[in-house]
Amino acid sequence: MKPFALRDLVDDRPQDGVFRVNRALFRDQALFDLEMKHVFEGGWVFVGLATQAENPHDYFTNFLGRVPIIIQRDGEGTLRCFVNACPHKGVRLLQKLCGNARRHVCPYHSWTFDSAGANKNIKWQKAGRYAPGFDEENHDLATVAKFGEYRGFLFASLNADVPSLEEHLGETRKLIDLIVDKSPDGVELVPGRVVFTYAANWKMQLENCSDQYHFTSTHPSYIRILDQRAKEQVNEVVQSSIGAADFWQEDASGVTGGTMSFDHGHVLNWGIMPVSSALPEFERAEQLAQLHGVAKRNWMFNMRNLTIFPNLQLAENASSQMRVIRPIAAGMTEMQTWCIAPRGESAQARSFRIRQYEDFFNPTGMATPDDTVCYEEAQIGMAEQDRPWLQGHARGLGASIEGGNDWSDMIGMKPARSVLSDAQLCDESLFGSYYRAWAQRMAGVLS
Amino acid sequence: MTSLTSADAATFLAREALHLDRLDFDPWLALYTPDCLFWMPAWRDDGTQTEDPDRELSLIFYRGRRNLEDRVQRIRSGFSVASAVMPRVAHMIGNVVTQDAGEGTVRVDSSFLTNVHDVRTNKSHAYFGRYEHELVLVDGEWKIASKIIRLMNDVVPTMLDVYGV
Repeated sequence: MKPFALRDLVDDRPQDGVFRVNRALFRDQALFDLEMKHVFEGGWVFVGLATQAENPHDYFTNFLGRVPIIIQRDGEGTLRCFVNACPHKGVRLLQKLCGNARRHVCPYHSWTFDSAGANKNIKWQKAGRYAPGFDEENHDLATVAKFGEYRGFLFASLNADVPSLEEHLGETRKLIDLIVDKSPDGVELVPGRVVFTYAANWKMQLENCSDQYHFTSTHPSYIRILDQRAKEQVNEVVQSSIGAADFWQEDASGVTGGTMSFDHGHVLNWGIMPVSSALPEFERAEQLAQLHGVAKRNWMFNMRNLTIFPNLQLAENASSQMRVIRPIAAGMTEMQTWCIAPRGESAQARSFRIRQYEDFFNPTGMATPDDTVCYEEAQIGMAEQDRPWLQGHARGLGASIEGGNDWSDMIGMKPARSVLSDAQLCDESLFGSYYRAWAQRMAGVLS
Repeated sequence: MTSLTSADAATFLAREALHLDRLDFDPWLALYTPDCLFWMPAWRDDGTQTEDPDRELSLIFYRGRRNLEDRVQRIRSGFSVASAVMPRVAHMIGNVVTQDAGEGTVRVDSSFLTNVHDVRTNKSHAYFGRYEHELVLVDGEWKIASKIIRLMNDVVPTMLDVYGV
């Protein structure tokens, strides 16, 4: 018995120019439980950066869907991903966010594991009078079915029946390259993790990251401050990268940016940003052009909001942010956020990046609270019953084309679909990619 | 006088809290020096906070009162949905300890508990931690040259603004 029918949840009729999503996807707890099993525990999910466990025996902990996990580097430098639970009584083995340990001793009955997850000791095993059946069981930590890395970005899947990570990421690898290649030494997380929750569905965040339409409506209080700061040129405040660009200004003319969508649910929205000192990358502008060519360098300066379905968002706009979405319930989401930065940038550039970040991205800043409050107001409004279909996925459908355009060609990237836009088009059709991937992962439980 | 008793310092901190509880931002801003530091560090891991704001992330970091003025302007602008229905706030400050830091500066350590009632959602949240104030005497009045807010419960439910800590 399949309790939900896909056609009742996602109305995807390209031939009729219709793409609609049912409000139930945001509010239904039974559907949410299926999502956790099949979207978050049934396919590739982002779990962290390799630099979070850089040295031998370093580890960090996280969740893969609802399952606690450990990502650890062993003494030889191999990274692995285990379930963070002792096979004995199921107790969570590690409680810390991160650390360094050659051995893990379960706090409950002292079963011991090494940094490669192998069981090294079962307390008083010989005296324990175990029957032979016990020896036939594997007492190591459970490894997750799939674990892979692309340029330091780590992904895992509890389901073995998934495409290769290379295939899952597909052409978005070129967008990850834009972030990693800003420095010959790659990227790192700036110390200091900021976590917040909001009382709404995880898909509100999934969409908002690539929602160009909301910016001038949701953030006028922030935009006014940017305008005033630009006028007054005061020294005490940080210069804004967004203030130096016009891709969002309603009177900007010509192509200002657009969207691209990819197989497996990944999307990008982007806007043209000048190669200017309003971005901390400017100190390397020449060097990056020499190393990677002008086109790729210019793309590194463009505003880019990349979502790797279902839980990783890399936002390069007001500063550079790595967000991880962790759904808690149909109406509750946890966001783990970091400033992600090129390694080896100058002290001035790093400090500049951090200042730009805090004002915009933090839940204690001047922009994100206006987003999250809107998510919560949406969650309240999702209770509407008579009209199940939202009208938030139709904008841009008439402009969406198969394949890429001149801009994707510049970096040799082939998206599945793309929209080239002026400042007011603000495509919403890219979200279709999310829901098609969602439907694929949910296919086994939807009729 | 160039030094403060703990009782005087407690009164000073209570007055700052009262301005915030009343959302009376002009006298609150007037308590700060133009070049003040206003800093709420983030947490690096389970047990340590970020220490170098130029190399590590903070929840809030400002050098210069102008930044606080911008925050207040946003709150009052009428264009921030997060500030449209203002939460009701009550600060409690205790365990006030002063230490003369020399050169007319007094360091004041205290504990705070802020209860924030979010009227929009009808939910209440508590924030707690420690304050570290540096007070300086300017033209006979004590001003805040530096305020560090060490927030202990840093998983923020939706949003947290300057009046909530």
